[in-house]
Amino acid sequence: MRRRMRIALWFLVMAAIAVGAAATFIGSGVYNIAAVDQHTAPVFWTLYAAMRQSVRHHAAAITPPPLDDAKLVARGRALYDDHCRQCHGAPGVAPEPFALGLTPTPLNLANMAREWPVRDLFWVVKYGIKMSAMPAWEFRLSEDDLWAVIAYLQVLPAEPPSGYRAATASRSQRAGAPEEPGSHRRWAVAGNPERGRTALSQYGCATCHDIPGVVGAAAPVGPPLAAVSRRGAIAGLLANDRGSMVRWIRDPQRVHPGSAMPNLGVTESDANDMAAYLYSLE
Amino acid sequence: MLALVAALGACSKAASPVTSAPDGNADRGRALLQQYGCAYCHVIPGVATARGTFGPPLENVGKRVYLAGTLPNSRANMAAWIRTPQAIKPGTAMLDLHVTETDARDMVAYLYRLR
Repeated sequence: MRRRMRIALWFLVMAAIAVGAAATFIGSGVYNIAAVDQHTAPVFWTLYAAMRQSVRHHAAAITPPPLDDAKLVARGRALYDDHCRQCHGAPGVAPEPFALGLTPTPLNLANMAREWPVRDLFWVVKYGIKMSAMPAWEFRLSEDDLWAVIAYLQVLPAEPPSGYRAATASRSQRAGAPEEPGSHRRWAVAGNPERGRTALSQYGCATCHDIPGVVGAAAPVGPPLAAVSRRGAIAGLLANDRGSMVRWIRDPQRVHPGSAMPNLGVTESDANDMAAYLYSLE
Repeated sequence: MLALVAALGACSKAASPVTSAPDGNADRGRALLQQYGCAYCHVIPGVATARGTFGPPLENVGKRVYLAGTLPNSRANMAAWIRTPQAIKPGTAMLDLHVTETDARDMVAYLYRLR
């Protein structure tokens, strides 16, 4: 009896210390809430796994209607262009600038649409996700429109970038017209690799590329960028040097028209810093 | 090196019997990836000599969403890219290696195992 009480007392003391430590940590304000401060990989993947499991659990009872209907897909594509492209981008189309500054960065849907079951995608679109920028669309779109968006997501991964542009060209000029970056000068000035690392995270690069040191979903949309300095060519088309890397990062649509890599409005100095970081990777 | 690649390509035609499996013969594909010289430029898991860094590594290539930047990843598109890269992306560093249809399908069968 006495032994049990002693164990209980110890447990209470330990719990009180843990709560005190947490309160001190929070109260001190040392934790950096800035969006430019990347999550560490364990935090990122813990949050991601918790989100993934929660969605799976809550969406289990949903029964999807038939989605392979051309009209439904077309309506879904229009809705996607109106409401989703701004944050998630589309094949070959960049997200809007505000979306790139979010932490966590909105995920690339071309990969998610292949990996996630239809009911999970529907659940996320309808109910949104707390503590992320994913809004709930339940009170904004009808049930039919929600399913139309999901129907479009089913064809999105198989739609070539040129297909999305063609299908949405008549709707908006934003989606079709790549931005016009300024002239490309050759960079003699060494970039700042540490700043480049933050820039790679802030422009959403790690949603589609696996980049050592940059924490993100790293979906296999584009090639992994480890040891990119040893690659023989950039995008298969340009010599692998700093000037070309800056050019490719800033204006992929001119280097390779129709590429899934969008023009993200990267400034010259940001691209130079990104190149400095990428070339520092072994 | 081109001559060597071409020579290796030529050898491969006699390599092993042609398969009739609709999705290709992955084991034969693995041998072909070495025989056509893919290993010079790409890291390919399971192909011992494939340590090249000229082109992108092909780990997880079966999971990649796009190939060559524009093609949605499918067996048919991967085979087309392997066979006629210069037609799909003029000027690309990836060479036309005159891969036959059957050989391309077998290579794809192996590459699709890498997921």
